[in-house]
Amino acid sequence: MRSPLLQGVIKLVEPRQILERARSEGRLKLLEHESLKLCELYGLPVAKYGLATSEEEAVTLANDIGFPVVLKVVSPDISHKSDVGGVILGIKSSEEVRRAYNAIVSNVFTRAPGSRISGVLVQKMAQQDLEVIVGGIRDKVFGPVVMFGLGGIFVEVLKDVSFRVAPLTEADVDDMIREIKGYRVLEGYRGSPPRDLESLKKIILGLATMISDLSEIEAVDLNPVILYPQGKGALIVDARIILGG
Amino acid sequence: MNSLKDLFHPRGIAVVGASKDPTKIGHIILKNIVEYGYKGGIYPVNPTVSEVMGLKSYPAVSTISDKVDVVVVSVPNVKVLDVIDDAGKAGVKHAVVIASGFKEVGNIELENELVRRARRYGMRVLGPNIFGYVYTPERLNATFGPRDVIPGNVAFITQSGALGIALMGSTILEGIGISAIVSVGNKSDIDDADLLEFFDEDPNTSVVLIYMEGVSDGKRFVNVASKISMRKPVVVIKSGRTEAGARAAASHTGSLAGNVLLYETAFKQGGVLSAKSVEEAFDFVKTLSWNPLPHGERVVVITNGGGAGVQASDTLADDGIHLEKPPQDFVEEVKKIVPPFASLANPVDLTGMAPEDWYYRSVKLAVQNPEIDAVLILYCHTALTSPVGVAKAVSKAIEEAGVSKPVSVAIIGGMEAYEAIRYLTSIRIPAYPTPERAAHALAAQLKYRRYREYLMKKEHLINKSS
Repeated sequence: MRSPLLQGVIKLVEPRQILERARSEGRLKLLEHESLKLCELYGLPVAKYGLATSEEEAVTLANDIGFPVVLKVVSPDISHKSDVGGVILGIKSSEEVRRAYNAIVSNVFTRAPGSRISGVLVQKMAQQDLEVIVGGIRDKVFGPVVMFGLGGIFVEVLKDVSFRVAPLTEADVDDMIREIKGYRVLEGYRGSPPRDLESLKKIILGLATMISDLSEIEAVDLNPVILYPQGKGALIVDARIILGG
Repeated sequence: MNSLKDLFHPRGIAVVGASKDPTKIGHIILKNIVEYGYKGGIYPVNPTVSEVMGLKSYPAVSTISDKVDVVVVSVPNVKVLDVIDDAGKAGVKHAVVIASGFKEVGNIELENELVRRARRYGMRVLGPNIFGYVYTPERLNATFGPRDVIPGNVAFITQSGALGIALMGSTILEGIGISAIVSVGNKSDIDDADLLEFFDEDPNTSVVLIYMEGVSDGKRFVNVASKISMRKPVVVIKSGRTEAGARAAASHTGSLAGNVLLYETAFKQGGVLSAKSVEEAFDFVKTLSWNPLPHGERVVVITNGGGAGVQASDTLADDGIHLEKPPQDFVEEVKKIVPPFASLANPVDLTGMAPEDWYYRSVKLAVQNPEIDAVLILYCHTALTSPVGVAKAVSKAIEEAGVSKPVSVAIIGGMEAYEAIRYLTSIRIPAYPTPERAAHALAAQLKYRRYREYLMKKEHLINKSS
């Protein structure tokens, strides 16, 4: 399914509101729930989430989303959340939500004193599977450019990624997916199933549209995107969106 | 109508700074224009003399009563703006600004003013900081480079000046026929994309070669390149391939998106063949401009030595071209020519005892066979045959085959091999001194074919969805 945005009923009001709010607060990086919201507005599949500003709210959200969940601190002052104890994974009950919520707030208070806390993100813990990265940047020569690669060692060490200059057609996306050296991993090998490339294509195309539409965006990392076997879709777990200075 | 039409088909051309001093650039340009045989009006502009090279000299462009479409500006940078004003008022459409001392030395304001001034008169600017341009269909050589450029179908755009002039000479040496040579220098106004749009429409150009340091609007370059590449191949030598690309980036994607990688991506997306060296680019240009477009990827390699055959097959494999068994009817016919121990898989090995006639017969059979899309011919100089003799046998076979098909020839050996290569290139058969270069040049044509099909498929998708 294509989102209404991709079908050409371009409604940039909501995306722009998110960007303007960040800008008015002097932030060049969107908060995590804002990034995820922007992805949703472009029809990209994100792991279910909500922003809690109280323990009670966190519990309600967790029950709505369904366990297990993960809790992450949302702060304009903290970029490496795990380093300050701002992320707690594998939460399976309301009681654990309460404990995690309070633990995060107190961790941040002691390990990153003075940091503003916008809230705590409650997010569905996505089932582990193959991780890929989809990204975008605005290059000063080529304008909006998108990137795709397999996660982990493939991108970190081997830099096995492919790029395309937007705008993209489906043929370009097909091509860029096949271009990486690790493509066989996506086709399925040694009992590992072939991956849902249709969902992956939609994410790449949607991101290309987003970064082309919104000239305020400087860079986007969707990392990781969990890519499930064919027919089972894909989920964006973490989205990082940076605005131009 | 393309806005650069008058640049390449001017009714008259004025040379400001045309000097009587034969060591001056203005003099050399005027001399090249006259001697290469341009048929339109030629007007030296120099207020201090009454004639240059027997032509009446004018004090200013505005004093020329005939139509002038192009003004070549070869005066010091500080005088350029006055020339632009004078020529602009006189209705000149294109300024070819040879002068240097602009953006390349940090004089950005002067360059911006040059473009602003020209725009005021609707004038386009080529340069500044260039050696001029050539358009052989009009017998126009307005450069201070070599005069006797060989007319042909290759357009060459160069951002580098010194290397560009040198390569202009190399095209003569290599027997590469030229439709146009355009020195773009600082690209203050006219850039690669503008020129690609012109050459796309230009019936005299069938291949474009670019020496590029960089472009300012990458998106437009990709867009224009992908249009022309559906009709004509574009080869680019991009300087600075090893430049440290990674940027200090707040994002993962940004840290991976090096400059070099993005250019490579853009070339691929635009269907542009990227050449790593001048040699490689010239090798590509020969197959691309002299051969017809291949219909498929079924290559047959004909050789007189196993080693050359293996080198060629490996090169083709590196380029993604895998040799298949030759068609059976072809094999049956070749069997009648060669000794029984000859290996007739692909490569087809005529054996070291192969005389010129075996080359003649087997090449002709291969070119004529409808199941073969391209023929790679390798010859190692042996005591039994002469390279020129084999080259003649090959050219005769190609000529008599009655069908036009992509071919590439390697003549491997010493001085005589070199002569044979010269002979073949003089009759526009791509020939090289090594099996690898011959194979790689042929592979470039097959790669172009893939790019072209990809671009056409893309265009089809876009048309369907709109």
